[in-house]
Amino acid sequence: MKRFAAVFWSLLFLSVPVLGVATFIVGPAYDIWLPRDVSEHGAAVDGLFYFILVLTGVVFIATEMVLFWFIWKYDESKSNGPGRYVHGSHTLEVVWTIIPAAVLLFLAIYQMNTWADVKMRRPNMSPTVEVVGRQFEWRLRYPGRDGMLGTPDDLHLVNDLHLPIDEDILIQLKSMDVLHSFFLPNVRIKQDAVPGMKIPVWFKAREEGVFDIVCAELCGWGHYKMKGRVTFEPREAFDRWLERKYAEQEATQPTGSEATMTSRAAARPALFARNEPL
Amino acid sequence: MKMLVRTLDMEYETVSAFAAQAGFKTPSGDLIRRDTRGHLSSGLFPVWVLGGVAVVLLLLTTTGCGKTAAASYRLNMVESAKQRLKPEQEQQVATILAALFGTPDEPIAPSECGLDAAKLHLAAGPVRSDIVGRKNGLYREHCAHCHGVTGDGMGPTAAFLNPYPRDYRPGVFKFKSTERADKPTHADLVMVLRNGLAGSSMPSFALLSDAKIDALSEYVKYLSIRGEVELALMRAFFELDDEDQGRLPEDREFLIEEIVLPVAEAWQAAEDALIDVPEMAADIDMAASIAKGKELFYGNKANCVKCHGVTGLGDGQVNDYDDWNKVVLQAQKTVQGGIEQAGEASTWDMDADEAVEHRAELAWLDRFQKVLEGNALPPRTIRPRNLRQGIYRGGMRPLDLYYRIHAGINGAPMPAAKGTVPPEDIWHIVNYIRSLPYDFNGTLGVDKPMVARDRL
Amino acid sequence: MMTTSRSTVGGCHSGLKRPIAAHCLIFVICLAVGVAAPGCGAGSVAGPAPDFEAALVLREKLASATGATEAGEEKPQGTGWATLKGRFIFAGAPGDAKPLIVDKDTEVCSKGGMKLYDRSLMVDVSTKGLANVVLFLRNSSRVKEPVPTDALVFDQKSCEFLTPVFAARVGQPIDVKNSDPIGHNTNISGTSFNQLIPAGESTVFTAGRETGLPVTVTCNIHPWMKAYAVFREDGYVAVSAPDGSFTIPNLPAGEPLEFQVWHERSTGRSGAISLDQPELKWNAKGRFKIQLEEDEVRDLGTLEVPADAISG
Repeated sequence: MKRFAAVFWSLLFLSVPVLGVATFIVGPAYDIWLPRDVSEHGAAVDGLFYFILVLTGVVFIATEMVLFWFIWKYDESKSNGPGRYVHGSHTLEVVWTIIPAAVLLFLAIYQMNTWADVKMRRPNMSPTVEVVGRQFEWRLRYPGRDGMLGTPDDLHLVNDLHLPIDEDILIQLKSMDVLHSFFLPNVRIKQDAVPGMKIPVWFKAREEGVFDIVCAELCGWGHYKMKGRVTFEPREAFDRWLERKYAEQEATQPTGSEATMTSRAAARPALFARNEPL
Repeated sequence: MKMLVRTLDMEYETVSAFAAQAGFKTPSGDLIRRDTRGHLSSGLFPVWVLGGVAVVLLLLTTTGCGKTAAASYRLNMVESAKQRLKPEQEQQVATILAALFGTPDEPIAPSECGLDAAKLHLAAGPVRSDIVGRKNGLYREHCAHCHGVTGDGMGPTAAFLNPYPRDYRPGVFKFKSTERADKPTHADLVMVLRNGLAGSSMPSFALLSDAKIDALSEYVKYLSIRGEVELALMRAFFELDDEDQGRLPEDREFLIEEIVLPVAEAWQAAEDALIDVPEMAADIDMAASIAKGKELFYGNKANCVKCHGVTGLGDGQVNDYDDWNKVVLQAQKTVQGGIEQAGEASTWDMDADEAVEHRAELAWLDRFQKVLEGNALPPRTIRPRNLRQGIYRGGMRPLDLYYRIHAGINGAPMPAAKGTVPPEDIWHIVNYIRSLPYDFNGTLGVDKPMVARDRL
Repeated sequence: MMTTSRSTVGGCHSGLKRPIAAHCLIFVICLAVGVAAPGCGAGSVAGPAPDFEAALVLREKLASATGATEAGEEKPQGTGWATLKGRFIFAGAPGDAKPLIVDKDTEVCSKGGMKLYDRSLMVDVSTKGLANVVLFLRNSSRVKEPVPTDALVFDQKSCEFLTPVFAARVGQPIDVKNSDPIGHNTNISGTSFNQLIPAGESTVFTAGRETGLPVTVTCNIHPWMKAYAVFREDGYVAVSAPDGSFTIPNLPAGEPLEFQVWHERSTGRSGAISLDQPELKWNAKGRFKIQLEEDEVRDLGTLEVPADAISG
């Protein structure tokens, strides 16, 4: 009976590494893996992920095997005497502190470059779009023809972010009320939107497509559905889309055909000319 | 200090004593120990019994004991209390509504309403799927937690929102392209769903497909028609003669022709009743227009500053209520007044009939008060829009601002300028308003401060 | 069960009867009850559930009905027209009218120290006549005059509506004027009419539907301004004059007529007034019944409104 218990528990613990490794092998076949990456820096980020995965995976499997072995071998049925009190091995403790510390230090240095690319080396450009998180939507503001945010020709939208591919994108991230987190899974970008702060987020997309924007910081009852949509498209399509949306925004007549709206908007002067006092 | 230490010591000792008695070794002891048979126990029950009981209790607490009931519509209790309906009259109203409009899971509508049954089927009921790849129950998935299953704007989340979610039942909608007294068009409802209402808690549902947005708009119309019929039925009791004995006639002439048809026709008429918006002149001099608009804004014709404030911050009039909150507020005043009055009356010098009436009055007041506490949200004032923020609930297009000024906002104190302010003047005001968020001490330009938020 | 070899510290404790774990269990139970209890018991007042079987029966009945109405008992129709008049007096003491709080546009609304007073109870000092009582006919079978085309004037001046209570016919144009040097907006509740009226201008409003009882007319810019309006299809409505008198001509004669009486400050439900006159068959909803002969001019005489019928 006692042997059965030992076998049962040791096999149970063995199933953890076995199933764990199995899910990682089988998962990608069922599309349960990292989302498709369309960004420029994504490969470096994913590379780091794989490196750490392999490193920790090896250690994990090793330690689990040792655990299994000990439970299997040293069970109650095999020894009758009292447990021996052991003071421990000082050497062993030192070894298995130093090695992980060294590994961590290595990782910290190894990833610095990628971190700097994503979080520190901001491209010198004005924002392509301002994204403001608000319960429970993403409010967008494009600078408009004058290239400046905060002027009357800005384009205001909600949840429907369009961006050009193969160009540096700089997003100015703000929050209107509480903490949110601007998460583009397919571009490997995640940045908390902190109320009161203007946080730059930059990346470059390499492929076209329509992907999700999700909120990654609990912000209230609607956090689960605070989703947006980002569309990456070539520059000409992006410009055309901007023009069309701007014409809709400046509409002075109930919606007619797109052509008339665009032409009407182009004909009307901008709300203000640059640098003219009121 | 010493006292404190001594007290803490005693506390510690007390805990140790308790613990020691229980076999609990402090500080490093075990709650669970082995009893004489070597089994783990806590001294009273075996561990697994305790764990099982705890798990079961937790489950019961969080999930409840029985199956959840099917969703059902709530009667408009505030109106029913206002009209002094008796329970059998309330039940007649509920039955008539069930006959005409079905239940939340199976909605139907009289054919006079012109509602598309397929869209209603898509939007109504619990979230489920009857065709692969298509999800039903859209309203309950996206809308019911704020707007309520009955569309009464009193869903579970509603009490935490300011402004409150829309109550569809009076059939009054604020942001539309039709004249003030008219209903919104289908396109208006679709636009509100697509763009949300900036500055309120109504989110943008632009990510839903067109078919889903269509279905939801249809369902909103359905709930509104149902709510208006409910109000009409409840108000009809007052018009009854004594011979009817407090029961509404249940024939086609009354229910369909007199009650449902006017409501349905109002909705259908809206589709063709768009406000005619004259074109803004294509060669308009923007700066001059803005200057003229500023004159009008401050002038006697449009009176904008009287409510929107002398700086456009929306602080000119802060004690007004929108129609939905006004109903509750007036009901509260009625109940208060009634209670004071009834309190002054003394049953001492009343005869039997008067005493019965008095008691009935008190009972009605008591019920009304309970209804106002449990079936209505506390009234909140409505503030005029802060025009300096550039956030406009009904949309920020010049066209939207034109609609708001021309027809006012139905249900809100914003009056209509139609007929008294000519269209060119309305366009001047629109241009001025659109310049307000960028107007800082009258100067503007790229090197000057911009919207207040950007200056931080 | 409770054996322990450790000595207790602090011997004054007599010891627990139950172990710690039992206390934990009791605590968990109490917590569960405490968490679940607020959920039990509804906060809202639930109305009665619909009778679904009856609803199905009704639905079938409505679907199968062709729209032809069942021949209900025909209301008897008479011939000719008659007139009704009378005079309302107030038996109680009206008290002093309260001044209104005027806090906007004071250079016009409080010009020269002028005060505006609450006009909800206007009693003529000499005749004790009760003004602004609304009397209208419910459910008329026929109407003599067509809808008048000349406009009824409803004006406002010095930040006050000049007519505290007015009545109009559905379809009759109402000229809403503003004779002040400042702008007003006129908001007629229940009609979705809320119109800006610039200084010195006017706009026309036509009621599309009749009101059950009088509705309020307010100005959102000047919240103290209030008036009442009542719109009726048949136009058989009168508002008592300052001396309390009213006349309704051209009423259908020879058939039972039911009138509704209303006053702003009445203690009856929704402002209805019921007087203690059994010959007129008053009911609790403020209605009385009467039947007039052709060409008769019936004078109801002095209708005394007792003090307790008016609040305040």
